[in-house]
Amino acid sequence: MNSRYLFGEAWAIARSAPRHTAMAVLLIALAFYVPGLFALVSRNLARLASAAADPTAAILTLDPAADARAIAARVAGDARVARVTIVGSAAAFERFRKAYPDLGAALEDLEEAPFPPTIEVALKRSAPPSAARELARAARSWPGVDSAESEEEFARKFRDGVRILRGAGLFLGSLLAIAAILSVASAVRLALDLHRDEIDIMRRMGATEAAIRAPFWLHAFFEGLAGGALSVALLYATYRGAVSLLAREPHPVLSIFWVGFLDLPTALALPAVGAAAGLVGSLLSLSKRPKA
Amino acid sequence: MPSNAPSTDRAPSGHDAGGAMIQVFRLCKDYGAFRHALSEVSFRVEPGEFVFLTGPSGAGKSTLLKLLFREELPTSGQILVNGRNIAVLPESQVPYFRRTLGVVFQDFKLIARKTIFENLSFVQSVLGLSRAEQKRRAYQALKRVGLHHRMNSHPGELSGGEQQRAAIALAIVNEPVLLLADEPTGNLDPVLSEEIMKLFLEINIRGTTVFVATHDVELIRRMGKRVVTIEKGKLRDRDLAREASLAREAPFLPG
Repeated sequence: MNSRYLFGEAWAIARSAPRHTAMAVLLIALAFYVPGLFALVSRNLARLASAAADPTAAILTLDPAADARAIAARVAGDARVARVTIVGSAAAFERFRKAYPDLGAALEDLEEAPFPPTIEVALKRSAPPSAARELARAARSWPGVDSAESEEEFARKFRDGVRILRGAGLFLGSLLAIAAILSVASAVRLALDLHRDEIDIMRRMGATEAAIRAPFWLHAFFEGLAGGALSVALLYATYRGAVSLLAREPHPVLSIFWVGFLDLPTALALPAVGAAAGLVGSLLSLSKRPKA
Repeated sequence: MPSNAPSTDRAPSGHDAGGAMIQVFRLCKDYGAFRHALSEVSFRVEPGEFVFLTGPSGAGKSTLLKLLFREELPTSGQILVNGRNIAVLPESQVPYFRRTLGVVFQDFKLIARKTIFENLSFVQSVLGLSRAEQKRRAYQALKRVGLHHRMNSHPGELSGGEQQRAAIALAIVNEPVLLLADEPTGNLDPVLSEEIMKLFLEINIRGTTVFVATHDVELIRRMGKRVVTIEKGKLRDRDLAREASLAREAPFLPG
């Protein structure tokens, strides 16, 4: 068995039922696009979540004219407080720009800093769980404080949300991967049916089962690889489309976190898993001796 | 597979079927409890012989060929082909055994999407031969059947006789020691049938044992070759005595 035969026959199999080949590739692409989209969203959300994982327990948003130092000193007077940080408008803007460099071009157009000054409060480890909430409630009544929020609840919910999103992506991905495997299996079965005569002839001429099956394995492998690669291309198109849409029409929440495409290992994993799914599908349909 | 079959497919020393190309001994093939396709069939074919297998439709000719080709396994009895007990041949060895045979069928069995030349070189590539060797063998086989001038035609562009010649070229491209043919002239008129038989004769003259199943009695009569007749799954009485004595001449593996 030589590579010319192997690749030539795999290509011939693909060409013998082009619609089914295309359909199988599309199904695999869809099967990996959906979990890929979840991965894309959760990856971007996770950046926000990791920021929220900062030990900051409460944030006090100040009036622009408020005396930040005086308020900070008042907060620091609380025995439960470990650290108080004043974040001015310019500093907040700079921090945002560093965290989300992909949105830099859109932010350049802003005439003034969009963020009010804030005070970030970190509590001592010994502080009770309710401390952040109590501190925020007390600070709301202080002059110069526009609003005060306990961050712990939000951060927890946020992390939970990202976890659920990832779980849902994995679950849907698993279901769709099974669908992709079955679709490859049925495409291979159809190809086998279309090549019955050839299989019969090959067998009679003394071809081994491996030589008969190998082109089908290769065909399914490339079908899966193409489907996985197509899903990455579709995801990138979705990402670019969303970036360009958000640049044109900024969204108060989406614009903040929608800043990065899949990391390279994840992007490469999709075609690799697609190829593996193709192989599994072909192994499923070729588990029994192909009929001649 | 016969329950009392020996563990090796090679006839042991001194039991090499007496050098026969085919030796069949008390061969039985049943399909279910009530359909006995072959019963107690014994005969032998010497290397270089040209033998016709005949009998009415449903007599068991195709079943016997399938058994000789190891497409099916006997219910009991033994089959030695070229010194190998194919009833006990491991599944993994079957492809390598088949490479020593050529098979021709009534319905040609050519790949429609490939040219005749590609049909021949394709099977060579499956077997892993080099491109140059594929071309050489394919061209030689087509030349032997007088079809080298049509090598770039697709099977659909050829006449029935040409297709059968292409099928014969496909069967001999591996340079087999034994050529099996199942009703090779079944789809052809008498003139073309004669032409195909001449081809078989030429192949036989070059040393290949030829075993042809056909129910064309007239063709068999004109060829004047040895005939084995099967009726209702059994060897015909007048062949029986001769084949039984031939079978006795060579020691055989126990059944």
